[in-house]
Amino acid sequence: MTTTVELDEQQPAAPAAAPTTAGHWRVTWHGVRTVAALELRQRVRSTRWIVALVVWFVVVGGLTLLISGALSAVNDGDRDLQGALLFAAVSFLVLGLGLLVTPTLASTSVNGDRAAGTLATLQVTLLTPAEIALGKVLAAWTAACAFLAASVPFLVFAAVVGPTPWWSVVRVVLLVAVLLAGVCGVGLGFSALVARPAGSTVLTFVTVAALVLGTPLLFGVTYPSQEQRTTVQVYVQRTDGDGNPTECVPTTQQRSVAHTERTWWLLAANPFVVLADGAGTSGSVHEAEERNDPLGMLRGAVRTARTGASAPLNECWDSGAGLVEPTSNGPVWPWGLGVNLLLGVGGFVVAVRRLSLPQRALPRGTRVA
Amino acid sequence: MTTQDAAPPATGSDPTRAADHGIVVRGVTRAFGTVQALAGVDIDAPPGAVTALVGPNGSGKTTLLLVLAGLLTPDGGEVRVAGHDPVTEGPAARARTGWMPDAFGTWDSLTAREVLTTFADAYRLDRGVSRRRVDELLATVHLAEYADRPASVLSRGQKQRLGLARALVHDPQVLLLDEPASGLDPRSRVDLRLLLRRLADDGRAVLVSSHVLTELEEMCDDAVFLSRGRTVVPDAAPGARADGRRTFHVRALSLPALVAWLDAAGAAWRPDEPWTTPPTSAGGVLVDVAGDEGAAALIRDAVAAGVPLTSVAPAVGALERAYLTLEEDRR
Repeated sequence: MTTTVELDEQQPAAPAAAPTTAGHWRVTWHGVRTVAALELRQRVRSTRWIVALVVWFVVVGGLTLLISGALSAVNDGDRDLQGALLFAAVSFLVLGLGLLVTPTLASTSVNGDRAAGTLATLQVTLLTPAEIALGKVLAAWTAACAFLAASVPFLVFAAVVGPTPWWSVVRVVLLVAVLLAGVCGVGLGFSALVARPAGSTVLTFVTVAALVLGTPLLFGVTYPSQEQRTTVQVYVQRTDGDGNPTECVPTTQQRSVAHTERTWWLLAANPFVVLADGAGTSGSVHEAEERNDPLGMLRGAVRTARTGASAPLNECWDSGAGLVEPTSNGPVWPWGLGVNLLLGVGGFVVAVRRLSLPQRALPRGTRVA
Repeated sequence: MTTQDAAPPATGSDPTRAADHGIVVRGVTRAFGTVQALAGVDIDAPPGAVTALVGPNGSGKTTLLLVLAGLLTPDGGEVRVAGHDPVTEGPAARARTGWMPDAFGTWDSLTAREVLTTFADAYRLDRGVSRRRVDELLATVHLAEYADRPASVLSRGQKQRLGLARALVHDPQVLLLDEPASGLDPRSRVDLRLLLRRLADDGRAVLVSSHVLTELEEMCDDAVFLSRGRTVVPDAAPGARADGRRTFHVRALSLPALVAWLDAAGAAWRPDEPWTTPPTSAGGVLVDVAGDEGAAALIRDAVAAGVPLTSVAPAVGALERAYLTLEEDRR
């Protein structure tokens, strides 16, 4: 009992009525690491962690091989045609499974600790709320990244099979990692907001489902309302007397077109769209169609949707002379990634506010300790 | 006795010392919805003393400790913990406060040593200091042999001791213990009592809530009674008084004879338990006498007067009696 604790002597705060909140956001690596190490230790030892990773590895690997086998049977050994499709399938598989697993990693981190009676003892230490929240997100994200790391071999395999460039593998891994970080943040926010762990997990899943299924659904539902008859440029195919294609020429026609430039952001928020657009597997839509690359085609479709009614319609079926690339307003994925990250940051902010001491209101039905 | 009339002589009732190093609570209120958990609490827990927090279930003990630990914002009133306001100077107050909740969990997969090391890190203790400190604390709470076993194998009492060590890891100036003795075996209770005594003697302010009143009585210098969220002075205030008088429990074969003699001698007495009918046979009363000399004189005179005494002993269960006067407030 002779040791003394070095404490940073706080300036005696002015007798303010409200507690100062500036200190809540102070973050040190030491504090974040302390919380993250605690969470990871607890998680790694208390769950069948290795088993889960092995199961994941086997499932992703097995599905990769099954898809690969099915494609080679269909395409009769054309590796270029298989490769792009296989890479798209494995990328979506990894993202899809990641989106299924990640909500469970973060969505009980605050209310679960509260139920176990371990949260308050941590809150009364000198860790700031931001450090606790960040440590928990970091631990959940690290766990999610472990699953992602276990699927990298299959992404590499899919890239090696076909024409997919190596940087697409890197981009897919990074994009999935960032998207999952967003989900971790959302899960943390709900776990701080909702008293019961089951409730926060469901809400996190609902949020993910809204992003994955809700956004294209909403885009589809609003599509008819955006349709108008306007004058648009249409590239049409000219043929010679024998019906052989000669050239592609622009014409002006009255057409019913959808003003998707008003609703494209719905698609952009979708994690799968973010992945497809950001992966950069094909240089152009034309190339994507040649390679049978779903990622590239999805990228083209979303970028076209963003251009909306002002985009010229391309009705040249032959890709020979005079091909027209659809105009594009640039990549869509930064917007989608931004939306996903913002949701995560929002969850983090909610968590920090909910973890701040002293508490004025308590979540309904909970005790502090 | 309540805090207002006497603090232990060792520290004196110097209010500035209590304000700088102990706990001072004035008129604190806190409501949860329509339930008024705290409705005006006044406490002085000076450094160097163990102060007991006594009250029925639902009287606001835990809520008060949560306010003191800096977890809950009081609706009104003033709180000073080691000279700091837990609301406006949260980190400074928390750095000086060790809090042990009544129901707390442990990270089941972590070993006892890892739990303490984590908390040393959380209090930003230097690594070298914390390693020594953790070993010291594990020895103090007799968990050294369990240091590297996961907390899930610890018994309830062992977890309780680990929780105590956790509250002490940053060498706090103020200790807030909510039911620290629950789940402890008799040996551990004695250890806890000695440890709290030692911590108080080192100059810390210790505030203990417990239902084991005889335990509390043996270790506390002072008691604060809570009832319906208020500090109250019970009718039967226990403990030693500033004038050195002490309550003795006097029993005799014939209670009427004892009472008659006491009345004749002009000594004030009160029943040791609520009498429903006038006493006719053996029984006891409580008498305030001037310390041990007074007790000796009482025995000599009573025996000389022919009162059939069976026992004269310092009154125990004074806290309990005081507590029982609050009993009707249970909710």
